[in-house]
This record gives sequence, C-alpha cells and structure tokens, in this order.
Amino acid sequence: MTARDSLEATPRDRGDRAPGDAIEERGLVQGLAGYGLGLALAAGLTAAAFFVAAGHLVWGPAIPMALVTLAVAQMGVHLVFFLHLTSGPDNTNNALALAFGVLIVALVLGGSVWIMAHLNHLHPAMAQMMSMRR
Amino acid sequence: MLGKLTWEAVPWNQPIPLIAAALVLAATLGALAFVTATGRWTYLWREWITSVDHKRIGVMYVLLGLAMLLRGFIDAVMMRSQQALAVGHSAGYLPPEHYDQIFSAHGTIMILFGAMPLVVGLMNFVVPLQLGVRDVAFPTFNSTGFWLTAAGALLVNVSLVVGEFARTGWLPYPPLSETAYSPGVGVDYYLWAVQIAGLGSLINGINLTTTILKVRAPGMGYLRMPMFCWTALASSLLIIAAFPVLTATLAMLGLDRYAGFHFFTNEAGGNQMMFVNLVWAWGHPEVYILVLPAFGIFSEIFSTFSGKPLFGYRSMVAATLFICVVSFMVWLHHFFTMGGGGDVNAAFGIATSIIAVGTGVKVYNWIFTMYGGEVRFETPMLWALGFVFTFVIGGMTGVLLAVPPADFLLHNSLFLVAHFHNVIVGGVVFGVFAGIEYWFPKAFGFRLHERLGKAAFWLAFTGFWVTFTPLYALGLMGMTRRLQHVDVPEWRPWLYVSAAGVVILAAGALVQAVQLVVSIRRREALRDVTGDPWNGRSLEWSTPSPPPAFNFAVLPQVQGLDAHWRAKQAHLAQPADKPRYEPIATPRNTATGVVVGVFATLMGFAVIWHIWWLLAAGFVGAYATFVVFAWRDRDEDEIPAREVARIDRARLAGLRARETRA
Amino acid sequence: MSAAAHVRATGHGQGGPASKRIVVGYGFWLFLLSDIVMFSAFFAAWAVLARSTAGGPSGRDLFEPSRVAAETALLLASSFTCGLSALATRARSLVWTELALLATGLLGAAFLVLEAQEFAGLVARGAGPQRSAFLSAFFALVGCHGLHVAAGLLWLGTMMAQIPVKGFRATLERRMLCFNLFWHTLDIIWVGLFTVVYLLGAGA
Repeated sequence: MTARDSLEATPRDRGDRAPGDAIEERGLVQGLAGYGLGLALAAGLTAAAFFVAAGHLVWGPAIPMALVTLAVAQMGVHLVFFLHLTSGPDNTNNALALAFGVLIVALVLGGSVWIMAHLNHLHPAMAQMMSMRR
Repeated sequence: MLGKLTWEAVPWNQPIPLIAAALVLAATLGALAFVTATGRWTYLWREWITSVDHKRIGVMYVLLGLAMLLRGFIDAVMMRSQQALAVGHSAGYLPPEHYDQIFSAHGTIMILFGAMPLVVGLMNFVVPLQLGVRDVAFPTFNSTGFWLTAAGALLVNVSLVVGEFARTGWLPYPPLSETAYSPGVGVDYYLWAVQIAGLGSLINGINLTTTILKVRAPGMGYLRMPMFCWTALASSLLIIAAFPVLTATLAMLGLDRYAGFHFFTNEAGGNQMMFVNLVWAWGHPEVYILVLPAFGIFSEIFSTFSGKPLFGYRSMVAATLFICVVSFMVWLHHFFTMGGGGDVNAAFGIATSIIAVGTGVKVYNWIFTMYGGEVRFETPMLWALGFVFTFVIGGMTGVLLAVPPADFLLHNSLFLVAHFHNVIVGGVVFGVFAGIEYWFPKAFGFRLHERLGKAAFWLAFTGFWVTFTPLYALGLMGMTRRLQHVDVPEWRPWLYVSAAGVVILAAGALVQAVQLVVSIRRREALRDVTGDPWNGRSLEWSTPSPPPAFNFAVLPQVQGLDAHWRAKQAHLAQPADKPRYEPIATPRNTATGVVVGVFATLMGFAVIWHIWWLLAAGFVGAYATFVVFAWRDRDEDEIPAREVARIDRARLAGLRARETRA
Repeated sequence: MSAAAHVRATGHGQGGPASKRIVVGYGFWLFLLSDIVMFSAFFAAWAVLARSTAGGPSGRDLFEPSRVAAETALLLASSFTCGLSALATRARSLVWTELALLATGLLGAAFLVLEAQEFAGLVARGAGPQRSAFLSAFFALVGCHGLHVAAGLLWLGTMMAQIPVKGFRATLERRMLCFNLFWHTLDIIWVGLFTVVYLLGAGA
C-alpha cells in the first residue's frame, strides 16, 4: 500500500489476498525453493506425458485417461507453486472465481461436444455420408 | 489505398437509406453546431468525454442506449408497415435486400446497442452509490468500455451511409454469412461492430464484478447489499462467462471470411451447426444479462413504493444465483428443431422449464412485498406493475416453447417473435424506463414530470399489447418470421392491428421525449432538494442530488440491510459529533478512453473495407495510447479536506432543513 | 471507525474496500478466467472438427513430438523465470528483475519461433488452415495461444523499458503481478493444448 492509499481514512478490508500473491512472510530462499520445486514437478509430469503418449508406459486404451490426468496434475502444480493458489480462507474469492470459470468451461466444452455428437449421429456430414455409401 | 472502398459504397440510388443517412448527418451536424455556438466544447470535453466518474459514464451509456433504441424502433416501424402493406398483390415499399438489412439491424441494435448500454449504464450509475463507495474498481477502464461500445454503435450507423449492413438476421448463421453467399461488407460491419462492443461489455463485466465483490462500504456484508447489486453481480458474472464465447465464435466466422478458413463452410469439412451451437451458448446467457438487472430494479421499486422491506431477501438472492447458473444450461432450446434428437432436446427442454422456477420465486416475493404495504402508484411503480403482468405472460409462452414438440410447430414463427418481445420489452425495456424514472432525480437533481410519465407508461403498455398479441395469433396460424411479403390474405387484419399498435408505441415514445423536455424546462419547480424524493431505502438516497464527485464525504458504516432506511429511522442523518474530513483521492480524468474508441472505430472501418495500412496504423495508435496512459506519473487528484467539508456541510444543512420542515 | 469493524473484516469485503493490489489482482484474475472461457470455445470447435480432415492430412501425419517437447520445455522454463522476476521485484532488485524478465522474454520468443516454423512448414506442405476444417481449428486454437504469447512479449518489453525509468512504484508492482498471472495462465493453457491437441491428436 502506498502513501497515497492511506490518504483515505477508509477502513480497509483485511484477511484477503490478491491472486498470484504469495504469503508475505516468506523469505527469498523459501520463494526460490517453491518455484524450483514447481518447475521440477511440472517437468517430471510433462516428461511422463510424452512417454505415455509414445506408448511406452501405459496400456493403449488407457492412454487418453492417463494423459488427461497428467495434464490436470500439471495444471494443479502451476496453480499451487506458481500462482500460489491455496485453499486458505484468504484465498476463498480467488478459488471460487476459478471454480466458476472451470464450471463454465465444462459446460461449454462438454455441452458442445455432447450436442454436436448427437447432431452428427443423426445428420452426418456430407463426407461421412459419401463414405457410408460405398 | 482505400481497399474495397469506392464511391459506389454510398447508396446514391436507394432513396430510403439515402434520406435516412441525410437526416442522421443533419442531426449530428446540428448537434455539433449547437455545442459550438453555445461554447460548450471545453465543458463537454472536461466534464463528460474525458470523465472517469461512474455517474457521468452511466449517463452517457443511457443516452447512447436511448438513441439506439430510437433507431431500432424506427426499423421496427418500417418492418411492421411493410408487412401490413405487402399482402397479396401489393409489394410494399421495401425491396427484399433492404428489408433483410432492416430486420438484421433492428435485432442487432436493440439487443447490443440499445438494451445493453441502457442496462449497463444504470448499473454503472447506481451500484457504487448503493455500495456506499466512491467509484467502480477501475474508473479509466470504465471510460474505455463506454467508448468502445460507442465505437461499435458508430460503425453500425456508418453502415447506413457507407456500404450496407448484414442481411443474415441479428445472429449471422453460416453458410449464408460466409463469403460465398454474403460477399459484400454487410456481415463484416456486423462482425467488427459487435466484436468491439463485446470488448466494451466484457470490460464492464469485470469492472462491476470486482467492484461488488471487493469494493464495498465497511460493514456491508454480502447479505446487506441491496438487491439491485446482487442482480448486477449475477449479470456481470454472466458477462464474464458468456461474452468470450461470442468473441471466439465471431472470430471463427471472421477467419472463414477473411482467411479462407473452414470452420462453418459447406466444403472441406466445415460444420454450420457448430456456429449455431456456440453462438447460442452466448446468446441465451445474454438475455439473462439483460433481464437480471431489470429484476433488480423492480426489487428496489417494489420495496420503496410499498414502504416495506423486500419480502424474502435471502430467497431472492438464491433465486438470482440459481438463474445465473442455470442460464448456462439451456441454450439448445434455441435450436430444438435442428436435429439434436430426443435425448438432447429432452434434457435442455427440462432445464428450460426449471429455470422458470427462479423467476417464479421472484414474482411471488414482489407480490408479497406489496401485500400489507402502503402502495404508492407513482410512475416507477406503474412500470413495475406493468412488468409483472407482461413478463409473466411472456414467460409462460416461453415455458410453452420449452416443450420440444410444441417448439417444432412454433420455431421461427411469429409466436416466437411475440414471445421474446414479450419478455424483452416487458422485462428489460419496462425495467430500464422504470429505472430511468426512479433514478433520474438522483442523477440530475430534479424529478421528471409525473403526469407525462404516467401517460408515457400507459401508451407503452397498451401499444405493446396491441402490437404483439396479433403476432401470437399469426404465429399459431403459421406465419413465419422475417417475411418481406405476405401471401395469405387471412392474415391481413392481424397485421393491421399490429401496425396500429406501433402507432400507439410511437406516441408513447413521443410523450416520453416531451416529458424530458418539459421536465428540463420546469426543473426548478421539480427540484429534488432532499436527495431522497421517493423515501428510499438504500444508500444512494443518502447523497445529495446530484451527488458530489466523490459520492460520500465519509464512507458510511453499514449496520444492516436497507442501510439508508435504518439511518433515517435512527435519525443518524445528522450525527451528533462532527465527522472527521480527510482529503479524498479521486482518479484523474483522461482522454485514454475516447482516444482508444477513435482508434477502435478506425481499425474496425479499416478491416471492413480491407484498408490494411489504416488497420496497422490504428493498432499502433491504440497501443501507443495505452503506453502513454501507463507512463503517466500522476493518476489521482486530491480534493482537500476543507473542500470536502464545505460540500458535506451543505448537504447536512439541506437535510436539517428537511427535518425541521417535516 | 470502530475496532469492531476490523474484527469483522474477514476478507469478504465487510471491512471496507480492499487494497488496490487486491482489487487490481482480482480484476485481472477475472479477465484471465474470461480468456480461458474464450479458449474453451476454440477447444470445443477443435474437438468437434478434429476428424473433419476432408481427405487431407490428420494430426498423426503432421505433428512432430520433438518440436512440441521443445516448445513445452521453453514455455515451462519461461514460467519459472517469470516467477523469479516476481521474487526479484519483491526484493526490489532492478538488475535481477530485468534479467529474469529478459530470460522470460527470450524463452517466450524462442517458443514463438519454433511455432512459427511449424506453421510455415505446414503451409508449405499444403496443410495450411484453408485445407480442411480440422486444420482451420488447429491453426486457430494454437495460433490464438501464440498471439497471446506475442501480446505478452509486447507487454513484457514495455515493462522492461518502464521499470528502470519509473522504479518500483506501486502501479508497476501491480502490473508485474498481473503479468505474472498472465504468463503462468498461458502456460496452464499450453498444458491443455499440448496434451489434447498434440499428444491425443496424434493418436487419433
């Protein structure tokens, strides 16, 4: 808070944290360790994803699920280690906003795929119909 | 040099658009001349154009919305008259390619440039006052959002003079909207006007959500916020959630048109239904973005004019949030007939019926608010009562359409047209006019003429029902929407009645304008001295009319719901001890918003007409504006404590005078 | 201003307006969420059109896993250096902030170069966005992410120019916070992109 902010005698809300802000009390070494650990975990998960996709680690039909799981884990690593998003009460608004965003994404993605799959089944695209004729 | 732009772009050989364009140009030049003659440019520039004050921006939004509402209404007059005339052998007076542009412009303008700015303007003006704070979270951003919306509106109106507008309806379905079938600039005008204005809307959504969640007076917990702020929050959350989908979808259509992509084309695997799906994933939340703040306005009005607190506040909050979330789960009901099949249609049909429950809860709460109260039938209350009657019927026709088998008969008929006008006019338009009547004294310091206001309401109410009831009947008889020519003579009497209704609506619009003129001329007699002309309940009524730039000299300490009402009951309007006045930091006015708007208009025009050097120059200019803004050293002015004290003491003196008089 | 007001200030807005840093951070967070929704619309289009290759090449024919791995590594590293710049800003070290930002920018630029090469190569092979709906969706989705990275670099450059001139004043600190949020979110979106479009798409 700058001097200018304190010009207003208004009481300021406490107990809240900006998204992306780490807790104030952490020192430089702790901060570095946090980012370093995040990098290591994310790198590991990324490498794992590439190995899985190449077919070396997981039974074939399970590959998509494994990749999605690894991706979600990676996003979680980013959120926790890089964006400092926690489940604490000072982060409630930030986490709730994210949850709202995730809900909308799920509705748009899931809804669209579901609807379009049904449409496609009942009214196949021209190319599919031509290939069905043969 | 000028891309596709040539002299032929001006409609020299089409009398109607030519005359319309000439009239608009004359009106614009006349207004500019008036401002110059009265030497008001400095005032306009300093106090309005570069203002970052939410109150000023709110008023400008409302003025823009009213102007565009009028333009959209004129389009409607032309459509109704054409349909009344062009029955059987008669051809009417509007050729098909012109009629198509008119109904496309009508829908686009009414929803995106009429209703949205009106609703957003009212939210902008009222929410910070109701929250007991000085401004929205991001004042300069607010100004930029307004000027972007104005830029979009300007582009749509330029299409009347230079080029053409889209002929595809207000949502440009491909493949008709693809280059192959719409090779002109019409769809491009639509695309870029809506993209630019959409950016303005998104800015607003972010601004208001942040304000409502993070910038409130001390003591104002979530359940102590006025109902209008809850609905503004729900609407703003929907803006943040839905507008990006529109941006993406129109960008995809733009890529198809400009770069030969194949998202929605007939060939190379494009899927036209994907456009329909995505655009309605935006389109349905959009109508809730419009109507939720209207619900909030009515909540304020019902409680104020019944002299009672709003009945069932918590259930209202729950219903609002319920509507907010479920509005994102019903969008397929706009294309039941397009082949999704039983599973999909049933799921979305059920969801659509369920969302009506939320509104039902609200309607019952409004009625129970009136019960046992001292109801005053002043103009805002008339609009509210007219709304309940009109909107409930419109909602019921909506639930009827939510049943897929019924929709298969009624989709894209005039029944559908009547339904959505029923809810949008009955809900949003009535709500906006109610809000304008209600908050006008706060904004300008004098009331609107009461008798003329009541007359305007009755004309609007009657005119609406006379115009649209025949359309319900025509829809059931099988008349499709958007017909330039009518082949069935049996439909003629209904079309005449509908056209007569438009005449009544026009009279209502005229009376509304007369009310404004008369009120301005008689403003001393109508002066709002106390700041609280309606005996209101929320914090905006504790400020003078109009409020000072900083709204509140000292932020109020909120103890409960209906904070202003509580303060009045406890006679806390004049505190026993003198408040401690501090200097107040106010955000500086800046030309950033209007300059960005100018560059946005230039970029839009450039990309429409393929003037690539202008597009690049516009982008560089816009970025440079942003950098100049980011580079400034001082972003706040300071009002010294002594000035704050002077203004506030005048307010307290006025209140004391009211108390002794009462 | 009573003590009671502070006691009740729970971070849910009841204690009065939040500080500017929180207000700006939260508003920008909301903007990023809207950006994620926009990406999801492009994702949805890609998901629907993924098999509409119109007789042309599919993902399996076109994607190079080694290039994608390199791009991913570059972007992840740039996320790390961006985090370092946040630490440097907190420590008020101009040199380290500028160095970390420079590293972030260079890594981001390298990412863009690899991506541009990929796009150019595809177009040269006749697998440009005009070839099929699948390719249109691919170019739009990945291209949208690339455009965001490019915009981020423009922003980064402007800030790198501004910090030495203006110093670590409050407005710049808030913009650094926003940039951090932006850059990390872009990496999160890339995780989704490379998993779904490249890794899963190559198997289709």
